[in-house]
Parts: sequence; structure tokens; C-alpha cells
Amino acid sequence: MASGQPFSVSLAGGLDKSTNSLALLQTPGVATKLRNFEVSIEGGYRRINGFNLFGGDDSVRPNGSNQVRGLVVYADGIVAVVGNNIYFSVDGTSWLQVNKDSVDAAGDNYSTFTGRSALSLSSVGQCEFTIYEGLTDYGELVITDKSGNNKPFLFYMTGTGALNSRTFFAKQITFDHTNTAKFCTIHDNHLVLAGSSTEPQTVYYSHTGDIDNFTGTGAGSITLEDKIVGLKSFRKELFIFCRNSLFKLENINDAATIRVVPITKNVGCIDGQTIQEIAGDLIFLAPDGFRTVAGTARIGDVELGTISQAIQPIINDIVQGSAVYEFSSVVIRNKSQYRMFYTSTTDTSATSKGLIGVLRPQGFEWSETLGIQAPAIASGFAYDGEEKFVHGDKDGYIYNHNVGNTFNPAGVETAISAEYQSPDFNYGDFGTLKTLDYIKLSIKPEALAQPTLRIRFDYDSNESPQPPDIELTAVPEPALFGTAKFNLQAFGASEQPLVRQPLTGSGHSNFFKVFSSDTRAPYTINGIYINYRPAGRQ
Amino acid sequence: MATTYLDITNEVLRELNEVILTSANFDSAIGIQAFVKDAINKATFDIANEEPQLPFFAAGTSGATDPFYGNVSVATVAGTRWYTLKDGSSSITTDYASIDWDDFYLTTINVSGETTPYVSKGLKFLTLADCKRYYRDNENADDADTQNHGEPQFVIKSPDHRKFGLSPIPDKVYNVHFYAFEKPTRLSNYDDTIVMPDQYSNVITAKARYYVHQFKNNLQQSAFALDDYKKAVRHMKSNLINPAPKYMTDDRTYF
Repeated sequence: MASGQPFSVSLAGGLDKSTNSLALLQTPGVATKLRNFEVSIEGGYRRINGFNLFGGDDSVRPNGSNQVRGLVVYADGIVAVVGNNIYFSVDGTSWLQVNKDSVDAAGDNYSTFTGRSALSLSSVGQCEFTIYEGLTDYGELVITDKSGNNKPFLFYMTGTGALNSRTFFAKQITFDHTNTAKFCTIHDNHLVLAGSSTEPQTVYYSHTGDIDNFTGTGAGSITLEDKIVGLKSFRKELFIFCRNSLFKLENINDAATIRVVPITKNVGCIDGQTIQEIAGDLIFLAPDGFRTVAGTARIGDVELGTISQAIQPIINDIVQGSAVYEFSSVVIRNKSQYRMFYTSTTDTSATSKGLIGVLRPQGFEWSETLGIQAPAIASGFAYDGEEKFVHGDKDGYIYNHNVGNTFNPAGVETAISAEYQSPDFNYGDFGTLKTLDYIKLSIKPEALAQPTLRIRFDYDSNESPQPPDIELTAVPEPALFGTAKFNLQAFGASEQPLVRQPLTGSGHSNFFKVFSSDTRAPYTINGIYINYRPAGRQ
Repeated sequence: MATTYLDITNEVLRELNEVILTSANFDSAIGIQAFVKDAINKATFDIANEEPQLPFFAAGTSGATDPFYGNVSVATVAGTRWYTLKDGSSSITTDYASIDWDDFYLTTINVSGETTPYVSKGLKFLTLADCKRYYRDNENADDADTQNHGEPQFVIKSPDHRKFGLSPIPDKVYNVHFYAFEKPTRLSNYDDTIVMPDQYSNVITAKARYYVHQFKNNLQQSAFALDDYKKAVRHMKSNLINPAPKYMTDDRTYF
């Protein structure tokens, strides 16, 4: 037979939906489909973890089936805005309602606090949170929501023991008569509010070091020319995201030099919930894609400023449907990862989508999620130093995010349906017919993994015979000295296994798809080696 | 169980490391699979064209009418010279592929109304040219006049290969026995079986590979496959056509 030829690909680059099929021949490591995978910081594509109920088997929903509007890691637990109420829980098995009225300015003890009547909030929308560390044990938490119906709410507690030994503080913040606010952030010892129902272009900032005082020295307001959709304090500047423009507020502590500087007046932010700080920059969703503030400030409104060109078709769909989507985002620091989720009113948990961007040396690399409904999501370091990731859905459930091997919507274990699909490989020559002999798939399992391999020739042509799917031989997790546990890992298994799989079929080009829909552990696909036999030119 | 069209197609596909077919998608084969299906038929036809008198192409079982030699018989009609070789065949496309013109046998045995002594003898092959030169005119004149006719001595092949003729024109009913070989039928359904024993299926697969490698423009592999085919067909012919002891006969009466 004709001598075999080698072809190897290291998987890198993430999802690429923008490059045409011929140009993709030059970048075989990218993925044309990458769902429920994440770009690994070590290279390759890793199937994502799942989520499970916050509170485990004893988990309870704070407020029935009302939608989770916002989450934040606070003190040693989670503050959740569910329906029209606000709750706190350490472990998810019981919740303390904290939107209480007439709480003593000096704080209430537990029994007094729980005995207070609820502070009525009206049709609460998606929430924003900011914590003023100050001098209290856990800082002071300010909550605003996008409904425009409610004044900012301030809550904090002191004491480190059991909940019934702590002191609770709660009240609404009045910053401009009856005005409400949608957005909040702490900037240089000021509470900054925006999105007032009557003054949507105005930024209000509090007295220095006194976040519920908007009349004292240092307090004030500035009116811009555009409607504000988000605020973010970043280093010494306050970035103000508007619908069609971007500003930064400088020198907030100096009444003589305080000023608002425009960054761009041609690029706005789709939704303030998409703003996150990652890798020394601010990332946000603009109408033309994800942007960084630094890039936008440097390059302006030209397309080069976006960091999501590779997934532009997805971005276009999202932006087109942004009126019906609820956005949320989070940063997973140890993975250099930015996650944004979007769900419409008609989406179920199974149909809700998201994007994962991982900052790699070459820039952001992207993948998609399907099956995570997260109109509210948060990450943060709890008081004990543990980093928590939580998200909530439209049915009132709150989950530990990015854990386990399965999705568990409403506590029902569900397989994670993941797929990676390569571009078509032409092995350097489109004109030559290639017969595939075998593949060696570099796969790193985190426990026993058994994905399925699919090969399609000639861009999945109906005119070419396509081979049946191949369920790969189960790949065991290797037992490594020092970490292996009895009966969990396989002795003698390779640390970086190359799964060899004979192949059939021929074509001028082909792509590979690795997919799984199971409850097994995540695995990482690092690369592909293919042995093929070229025939003549056709 | 004889090898089916699906079996042998998949055998070739596996040899080529291509995606095999199933009974479910056999009819809708595409691309290389469809080409291999075609190549199987082409290879079979090649074998038949190269050696049409291989035993498995025989039109019937030898000596079906014991003890007569041949696998086909035709009854003559008094005064009729020409007879279609294959009864009911409407054109050359449905005729026999090949006839053993050296083994025609004429007899009255089993002819209704005939008694001993029977006529029972071989017919010598007469070329049409000799027939025209030495016999045709007289026999035609007799046929048009006294119609004495006679006991056939020779068998003649018609120019269109569809009929055999007898000389003299038969004077009564005889049974003519001879050997005929069918054309191979084009395989179509997945469970159609190949015409030859499994042992020789490699002749088909080798020739099919030859065509597929040509299709793939893989000339070296194609040459190897053709070499395989030649060897295999040589062995097959050696086994099936010339297995009898070889001897020489001098049939001259006088030296």
C-alpha cells in the first residue's frame, strides 16, 4: 500500500465561527464547534464541570419558584435576591430574610431582626451588588436592581459566630428624594449610584467614607449625555458605561479637578451585567463584540478593539436578541476565565446558553455552554478565604457553579452534552484523496472517560460515504504516586494517554468530532495525530 | 452459503479501508461505495469475457437427460434448417454467452414415435463458408422441390451467433444436445449471490481493487491489483477448465 503520512494537530485557539472554511485549513487547532468545553489554560479543550444544588440534598429554595435576581458572596455565605425578597444563607439549607423594615440604626440582634416586618420591594429586577469594606466585619453590602422601582438597599452584619449571635443592619438608601437607582459601585470610598428612573444619565456619588450620605462633603452628581447602563471602579478611575458611549470619572475626591473624560462616543455597552474585571482590564459586551476598556481607549471604535472576532456570528445573534436576554457574567480567576450567560424569557434550563472566554497568551479563546441557566451568577472569596462560585436560575434554585460531573437543574442529575469539532483538515493538499488509517487522540481524563469520535469527509458531504460513530475505548485516569486513591484510578494507565483508534473512509478533507453526553468526569483533548495514505490527485 | 453482493462489496471496501455498507444502506450507496459495487460487476463481466466457458457459467447441469452429453437440447422440425440456440430468447442480449460448437449431438432417442434402431451421433462443425460452397445450393433446391431432406451430419453457426443450423436439413424430428454457457447476471440486490464458488471470490476482489485504485489515481496499487487478478484467474482457469489428464490423440486413419 502507499506509505502512510503523519499529521498532528495541537488543539488551541478555541471556537472559531468567523473564519471561512478555506482559511481554517491554516488553523487546524481551532474548533468549529466547542460546546460545554472550555479552553484549558494548559492548552487543549476541557469538558466543563457541572453544577449542583447549593445546600446539597438538604437544599431549599429561598423563595419558592420565584426567579433568582441576584447573588453575591458575602461574609461566610451567600446573599440572594429571589423574587422580591433578599436572603442570606451560610449553607443553602436555610435562609434568613434580610430585607427588613425599621431596623435599628445601631443594629438588631437576631431575634429582633427576624421579628421585623419585611421591607416591601417592588417587582425586583436583575440586581447589582457592591461591598464597601469599611470597618465592619464583612463590609457593607449595597444592592440595586434594574427594575427602577426600588431605592438602593444597604445590608450588613457583624459578629462571627452563629447567625443568632450576630447583629444585623438594613435600610434603604435615599440619595435624591424618592429617586431609585439601577447601578451601584464603590469607588475610592464613595458609593456611586446611577440609572435613576428620572435621571438615567446622572451619576450620584456619596460623601467620602460614608456610603449612605449623599448630602455631605464630597457628595455630588454629574449628568452625562447618554443613558448609563453600568458602573465599574477600576484602579483610580470610575468607568461609566452608557448605551452608546463610554466615559471615565477622574479625581472623585477633589472637587476642583473632578471631571468626566469620554473614552469613546461610538461604542456603548449592551448590558452592565456583562462587565467584569479580568487580567488587569475591564471586559464588557459592546454591540460589535466583547471589548476591553484598555483596547477601546487605545484603538477607539474600530473593530480591532473587539476581542471576540472569532465568535462574531454568535455575538451578532446575541446582540440582535439582547432586548429579550437577561445577561450575567462572572470571572473564574484560577482559569483566567470570563463566563457570560444569556437566557430569554422562553428559554428553559436546557436551552439556555453562555460563552466562556479564556485569556491565553494569544488573547481570548472562546467556547459555548448549553444547559446552564444563570440569570444570576457570582464569584467571590468568602470570609474564610474560600472562593465560591454560585448561580441561580429562573425557578428559584441556587447552585454551586463549576463543580461535579453533571448538570443538576432543580436537583435532577442531567448528563453534560459536550462536543468539540475540528475544522476540515486537508493534510496540506485538497487535490489528493486521503484514506485514513488511524487516529491517536491525546486525551487526559480526570476519571474514567469514554467520549465518542465522529469523522466526516469532505465537509460532511452527502456524496461521500461517512463512517459510523466510534465509541472510544474507555480511557482510565492514571494512578499517580502521591495522589492516587484505591479503586479510583487505574494502575499502569498512561498519564497522558494517546488513544489509538483505527479509522475507515477516504476523502479530500475531513473533520473530527469528539462528543459525549454522559455523567462521567471531565476530560481534556490535547491534540490529534492522524496517519493517512494519500492516493492520486483527483 | 454463497458470498453475497454485500459480502464481496464490503470485502473490497475493507481491503481499501473504506466505510462498509449494510443491508439497509446498500441500495443508496454513494461515492466510493457505489464505485466498488460497480467494480464488482465489472470484474465479474471481465472474468466472463476472458473465459466464458467456466463451469459456473453453464446454462444447465451436464447430462440432465441421461445419458446424453450436453446441458441444453433442441428438437428439430422436419424441413427447418435454423434453430434459436436459446429457447425464448428475443435478442442477443439474452442469448447464451458461449456455445461449445465442438460438442453437438444428434439423436432420435426419446423422440416420440421413434424406435430402434435409433440415430445417435455427434455432429461435426461446418463453417458457413463450406456450407455455402458445398451443400447449401443442393439442400435448398431439394427443400424447394422434392423435400427429401436428410439426416443432419453437420452443425453450422449462424452469422449473427443466435442460431445453429443443420446440414442436411432434417427430414424428421431429432433431439440436438449441446453445451451452452450463460451470461453472468448483473448483481443488484444486497443478497444476490456471486456466480462462482467462494474460493474464487478473490478473482473478483482483485479486479475490483484494480478498478478502484485506478479511480483513486493510485496507479502503482492498481498495477499490483491487476497482477493479483492475473494470477488468481490463471489459477482458477487451471483448476476449472483443465483438470483432466492431458493426452494426445492421432485421429488419422492411415499413416
